Amino acid sequence: MNAPANSGRRRLLVGVGSLTLAFSLHPAWAQEGGKKKDGGLPGSLEKEPWLDAWIRIDANNAVTVFTGKAELGQGIRTALLQVAAEELQVNPDRIRMVTADTARTPNEGYTAGSHSMQDSGTALRHAAAQVRFILSGMAAGRFQVADSALTLRDGVFEAPGGRRVSYGELLAGRQLHLKADGKAPLRPRAVHTVSGKPLRRTDILAKVSGGIAYAQDLRLPGMVHARVVRPPSQASRLESVDIATVARQPGVLKVVRDGRYLAVIADGEYRAVKAATLLARAARWSVPASLPGTRDVPAEVRARPAEAMPILKRGSMQQDGRTLSATYTRPWQLHASIGPSCAVAQLVDGQYTVWTHSQGVYPLREALAEMLGVDKDTIRCIHVEGSGCYGHNGADDVAADAALLARSYPGRPVRVQWMREEEHAWEPIGPAMLVEARATLGVDGRIADWEYAVTSPSHNNRPGKAGNLLAATHLAKPFTPPPGKPIPQPEGGGDRNAIPYYVLPNARVTHRFQHNAPLRTSALRSLGAYCNVFAIESFMDELAQAAHADPVAFRLRHLDDPRAIDVVKLAANKFGWGRGKPGPRRGRGFAFARYKNLAAYCALALEVEVARETGFVRIVRAVAAVDCGEIVNPDGVRNQIEGGIIQSASWTLLEQVRFDERQIQTVDWASYPILRFNQVPGQLEVHLIDRPGEPFLGTGEASQGPAAAALANAVAQAAGVRVRDLPLDRARMRNA
Amino acid sequence: MSYELQVNGKRHRVDTDADTPLLYVLRNELGLNGAKFGCGLGQCGACTVTLDGAPVMSCIVPVSVVGARKIGTVEGLGTATQPGVLQQAFIDEQAAQCGYCIAGMIMRAQALLDQHPAPSDEQIRRHMMPNLCRCGTHMRILRAVRRAADTLKAQDGGGRS
Amino acid sequence: MKGPGRRRRLWWWLLALAAVLAVVAFAIMWRPAIAPITAAPRFEPGLVEKGARVAALGTCAACHTVDPSRPFAGGFGLDTPFGTVYSTNITPDPRTGIGNWSEEAFTRAMREGVSRDGHLLYPAFPYNHYARMTGDDVRALYAYFMTRPPLDAPARTNEMTFPFGFRPLVGFWNLLYLDDAPFASDPKQSAEWNRGAYVADAMAHCSACHTPRTRLGGPDNQRFFDGGEAEDWYVPALNARSPSPLPWSREHLAAYLRTGIAPGHAAAGGPMQSVAENLRHAEPADIDALATYIHSFLAQAPERATPATRPGSLPVPKADDPDLARMRLGHEVYANACARCHDAGRAESSGTALPLQQAVALYDPDPRSLIHLVRDGIAPPDGEPARWMPGFGAILSDEQTIALAAYLRRYGAGQADWPDLAEQVRKGKP
Repeated sequence: MNAPANSGRRRLLVGVGSLTLAFSLHPAWAQEGGKKKDGGLPGSLEKEPWLDAWIRIDANNAVTVFTGKAELGQGIRTALLQVAAEELQVNPDRIRMVTADTARTPNEGYTAGSHSMQDSGTALRHAAAQVRFILSGMAAGRFQVADSALTLRDGVFEAPGGRRVSYGELLAGRQLHLKADGKAPLRPRAVHTVSGKPLRRTDILAKVSGGIAYAQDLRLPGMVHARVVRPPSQASRLESVDIATVARQPGVLKVVRDGRYLAVIADGEYRAVKAATLLARAARWSVPASLPGTRDVPAEVRARPAEAMPILKRGSMQQDGRTLSATYTRPWQLHASIGPSCAVAQLVDGQYTVWTHSQGVYPLREALAEMLGVDKDTIRCIHVEGSGCYGHNGADDVAADAALLARSYPGRPVRVQWMREEEHAWEPIGPAMLVEARATLGVDGRIADWEYAVTSPSHNNRPGKAGNLLAATHLAKPFTPPPGKPIPQPEGGGDRNAIPYYVLPNARVTHRFQHNAPLRTSALRSLGAYCNVFAIESFMDELAQAAHADPVAFRLRHLDDPRAIDVVKLAANKFGWGRGKPGPRRGRGFAFARYKNLAAYCALALEVEVARETGFVRIVRAVAAVDCGEIVNPDGVRNQIEGGIIQSASWTLLEQVRFDERQIQTVDWASYPILRFNQVPGQLEVHLIDRPGEPFLGTGEASQGPAAAALANAVAQAAGVRVRDLPLDRARMRNA
Repeated sequence: MSYELQVNGKRHRVDTDADTPLLYVLRNELGLNGAKFGCGLGQCGACTVTLDGAPVMSCIVPVSVVGARKIGTVEGLGTATQPGVLQQAFIDEQAAQCGYCIAGMIMRAQALLDQHPAPSDEQIRRHMMPNLCRCGTHMRILRAVRRAADTLKAQDGGGRS
Repeated sequence: MKGPGRRRRLWWWLLALAAVLAVVAFAIMWRPAIAPITAAPRFEPGLVEKGARVAALGTCAACHTVDPSRPFAGGFGLDTPFGTVYSTNITPDPRTGIGNWSEEAFTRAMREGVSRDGHLLYPAFPYNHYARMTGDDVRALYAYFMTRPPLDAPARTNEMTFPFGFRPLVGFWNLLYLDDAPFASDPKQSAEWNRGAYVADAMAHCSACHTPRTRLGGPDNQRFFDGGEAEDWYVPALNARSPSPLPWSREHLAAYLRTGIAPGHAAAGGPMQSVAENLRHAEPADIDALATYIHSFLAQAPERATPATRPGSLPVPKADDPDLARMRLGHEVYANACARCHDAGRAESSGTALPLQQAVALYDPDPRSLIHLVRDGIAPPDGEPARWMPGFGAILSDEQTIALAAYLRRYGAGQADWPDLAEQVRKGKP
């Protein structure tokens, strides 16, 4: 592409406090790139179009890349770095990534829903490409050569004859205060050197050698330690509390009481723990019978009112033929992060700084501002990594605790660490759901009619509002949780993946949204997709059996998306589906889903061995196939899929929250066991289909649903009996 | 009260209450981040360190019972620039997602390799059971331990009788 | 003819006696093989279902299931004073299990401790109890086992001390201890009690652990339910000599048998844990009957004044304690390692545990159970929710363990010292 030299390309603008450069668009740019959706900019550029919000280059050629997304352990920090490094053509170690900070990074909402690559990755890709393009033009201008005569390596241009200039030298301390246009040419996949290659994650080194890596590791000068004493249940009332004795304990700096919110601040961590134990003993609560218990969760789900929201109405009713119906259920389940949530907050000169592992620093800031009754500009939320959250766990709540206690004890950083029992009992939990499916098989062995209803309360009670913060609901002037709202399709909440990806000429799908639930519910990795894919894929197997068809062939019969067909065939092939028969006590199961019907494709085949007498299910081997569009970090994808399969196996084989009429009973790993090493698969393979040039597709949650269904299908074959209620735990399998 | 502790071959003197779990002493008094608070109940192993070579849950070890016994933490196996065999194996296998459980896993595995330099896959699985991973990184963790065992075996070159 | 003739006659008499003895010994020690079956038998479904309940009451899985993914494949090593006996594979595998056993062979094994091929089984397998099972129950049990999935699991070689590796010797043990008289109800007792007695004696074989054994390893029925030992745990007496500091109610006992936990008394640890895991699957009515029966013995225990009625923080050692140094160390270990959970009240978290004044192990006549509990804790079965005590085996030194046990015994239970405490602690962690 030839650019006429010096043709009015540059205009110097004086920006806010620093010199910035603004560029007019060169008409040639209007051609390529620019994956505009609905006329908007690609990815998060739509919300944050300024290039220097994403990329800044120092005079010494150091590059800082900003993302509004957060590293949750899913490797996104590294993957985004790869995207930027690729398009900027700098070595990855030249780049410093700054993530989710309300003072420094774009606002990209929550790091959730497997959106990070689609939103931030896409934005960074286009922004970086544009920065490179602009700088290339500048270098060409400086050396009076064509752009195409320049070579670029690690942020340094070289012209024929050996003249060189770096990015940093070109900009000389100024930043590109220019709006993105999404039109700069992207580097073709064929020449990629960084993106698409396995790049070692930047964070693992510190994690294996005891470096500072987590919110839990933060140590700030003058930091004090706090613990909160929670009510025995959300409905409990605080009748009395003797604070004086606790205040006299060694190390205690302050005991806080605000309504039924109780906390203790101490100069040492274990002293805070002990003082909190004492404070808990010193409190008298009345604990009413406010919960329905978990003896029969499906019945309780059924009994709770629901609002019918149709989300699909296709064709007409065709119920001539063999009709099957089935009900599938999911219990209450936990995120159960291995590291209970932690936050540090400090109030200095009217400014709050909160170090948090919240998935959404900007929405959190809004909620904190409302809770504290201050202007949100007085609050800065900085993301620091926590342990895996798998959705909306206690991260925001503990940030609220820290902010409140910082207000009670201003000047010094206050660290709040949730205890294990606190995280288990108070995190927003994964909702119990119920699915009713009904289908009719035509004479041609295809599904002629499909009717499906999923009942669920809200999967999204993330802050935004103070009422979404646990502490705020316990204050003397409590905030009320806003009513949970459904998430509209195509994302969906309880109805995520409720619409099958199969070709169904006549289909009706209803989301029965429940406005109320006995406990606070929110997003748990894949939201409704876990239960819906479990139900749909179990039902597909039951239909296949009724149609006397092989489960894989039956699915292929109903798929028309070639990418879906490819993953199904790949998984089946690599597994050896149809070759040989499983041995005694063994069974094989298959499942497929496209996450949200628009993100990554995942097919999974697995083999289990079931011991009916003990109820023990052993996963012998599992083979997955995944298509997530153009792959940035193949190892990262594998890691997420493997992890999702094993986590989903844990949910599916072991996990359910239990509570009686008064209190939660699953409060530690003894009462809420999760998968241990003896029950992980004997073998686990993940096969990836790379689609260079295709958009990045969210992958982090793609295997939760398929794993549950493949397990249920395999167990059904091994045990000779179909179980439709999760979890398939030992007690259930013994009595099945 | 004052306690003298042997950690990773070095002597430290700390001042803390007798019932303070070793976990908090390591993290807060000695600034060692490896061992983590996961449950405080001895159920998850995120706090695993070694005591005279045996794996223990440091969240239930009161500092006052340690005495002269040798404490080993992940920091004692190597550094970010010079990782030990196990740490390198975890890096090579990229055996981490959130990584919170990993330091505990490494110490648990270290204790195994110190006692049984050539464990079978089944032995590794059984040995690691007290440690939980919520992200589902188990397969990689097993591969990392296997890799470290194989590396150690190759280093020995069969020289041991 | 006197002299040589007489001697020769004497020799003939001795020879004859020896021959008779040999025949008798042979009769005691040798049993014939029973022909293998060739076709898999069929059973009506109700019988198999009933057999499952019998197996639960008989606690077969406690010894015969080691790996939950391989039920009844055997392999559990039971340490006895005569050596270590490994449980066998009782799945119907034809080669390594009981797949070619006829009902007759199975019944003979259950009642007489004889394997299909005629070799004698060690009474680590409690056939001297199963001998009193009714024919219907044995038949149901056969139906159950013969319909389990066959698993390939060859029996492990036992490690017996000489001369007990010579199986035919067991014949003499049987002579002394195998009582094959059928179970007899006690007309003075209720139907429930009698059902419980049958369950306890013929199936759950409680007295196999809860009654002391003679030197020869047989039940010492003069001291019925006086307590015993199993796998290096002390097994409490269930009668007037019960060490329990608080009286057991029948309801608590039933809850304990069903769930492994009786609030205010105990969580089942060690061998009793797997008993409770089996009984959990029995008919609740049978567990109630068992509780009624056992309780009739437990209720004979006199009420004692023990610290168990005043739970709370354990006291500091008295200044005039003759073992002050050791007691102080024990108290320090208790206060710093144990009190955090054991003094925390009782809630859902396993971080709240039984107040130690109520722990039966402190009142046992010997410290072995306490030592096991401190070292190994109590772990739930794989993947199932339960309460959890972590083990302190690698955390506490021998000296700390001795001091802790001594302190708890004196200041927690208010009982006389265990004379062999130090020795028991030091003999090593298994």
